[in-house]
Amino acid sequence: MVCAVSGTSGVLRITGDPGGTIHLADGLVTAVETTGAPGPEVLLLRSRRVTESRWDAAFAAAAARGRPLSAELVAREMVGAGELEALLLTAMADAIFVLASGTVDEYRAEPGPSDGGLALEPGADPAGLLAEASRRIKVLMSVPSPPADRRERLVAAPGAVRPGVRLGAGQDEILALADGRRTTRDLAFALGRGVYATTLRLAEMHAAGLLVPASASTASRSARQAGRPAARARQESGDELPRRKGLTGRAVLPRRASAARTPRGLLRPRSNRDDNPG
Amino acid sequence: MPSLAESFNEVMAVEGVRVAALVDIATGMIVRSAGEPAGDFPAAAASMAGEARAARTMLGPGRTGGGDLDEIAVATSGRLLLSTVLSPRFGEGLLLFVDLDRARVNMALASLQIGRLAAGILA
Repeated sequence: MVCAVSGTSGVLRITGDPGGTIHLADGLVTAVETTGAPGPEVLLLRSRRVTESRWDAAFAAAAARGRPLSAELVAREMVGAGELEALLLTAMADAIFVLASGTVDEYRAEPGPSDGGLALEPGADPAGLLAEASRRIKVLMSVPSPPADRRERLVAAPGAVRPGVRLGAGQDEILALADGRRTTRDLAFALGRGVYATTLRLAEMHAAGLLVPASASTASRSARQAGRPAARARQESGDELPRRKGLTGRAVLPRRASAARTPRGLLRPRSNRDDNPG
Repeated sequence: MPSLAESFNEVMAVEGVRVAALVDIATGMIVRSAGEPAGDFPAAAASMAGEARAARTMLGPGRTGGGDLDEIAVATSGRLLLSTVLSPRFGEGLLLFVDLDRARVNMALASLQIGRLAAGILA
């Protein structure tokens, strides 16, 4: 983000997990692309309130007329101007959160004109986006059962889905999609929601006993098939005390905040984080 | 395209309004704001987004007597916080979150005025 602060235009390519590209104009962030979070196109199309065919038509028309896609979408009344601004800002904040939560192996600044596709004009203040990412990370660290591993796969708990009973507030859709194969990221893409918002919903549903880690579900099923819950057997025999569980179902210790999880560690290369913890 | 900040001008013109913000219900993020937010404003905004999520779960469609959430009003002796739900074509919705000076407003009238303006915020 150094070049953003200095007011340059261009792209910042970040290599890592998940990595991505930050588009800048005059030091402001106009778009962020990463495979780790759904972009504005996915968020809009998944809402089913904008069809793919209308989107494709707008995209082709914008290209033919040489005008921004954002202007074309608004002109076609596919989205309101204020609505689009809110969409771009929330999508951008989610992408920065994902990048900040991941790892950065290296980054490369490429000054020059930037084509960020569906871009926010004027862009967003990078400091504000980083502050929002920091706030989100702090919130997740305070949630009693945070998804410790974003690659964890969740599945509906036994009895969570009951015929004819709707839980509402989007929980039924999540239960239907949480098949034990989808990660939080996968669910976010499937739902057309941000990764942070999805993570919060999953944590709430896990705390409410509606979702369980697929690994725990499999272990539980295996134990039941064996005739006796293995964990209970170990506890009853005194071999093991009950331990606090993370969302992964694995026993976890209270974690010391690592550099990668602190605001100061945001978007710093992994090597730097390791060298200068905290 | 016109900015959200420009759309806030009309809201800020309502008697007693100190701060107006657009808050993402799903995340508690302040998308845009106008006025001079106090230090506790981001926390208040995030808290209100949480209230909106909880209200939807407890009072939403499918619940006895439930329905779509329209507005949340919180009043203290000095402040009136009005949160009007907006429904964009993405996500879980947005709140037009407005902080008013309680001593300078009629609660019902303020709610009516802001409710009318809310419809145009996303246009």
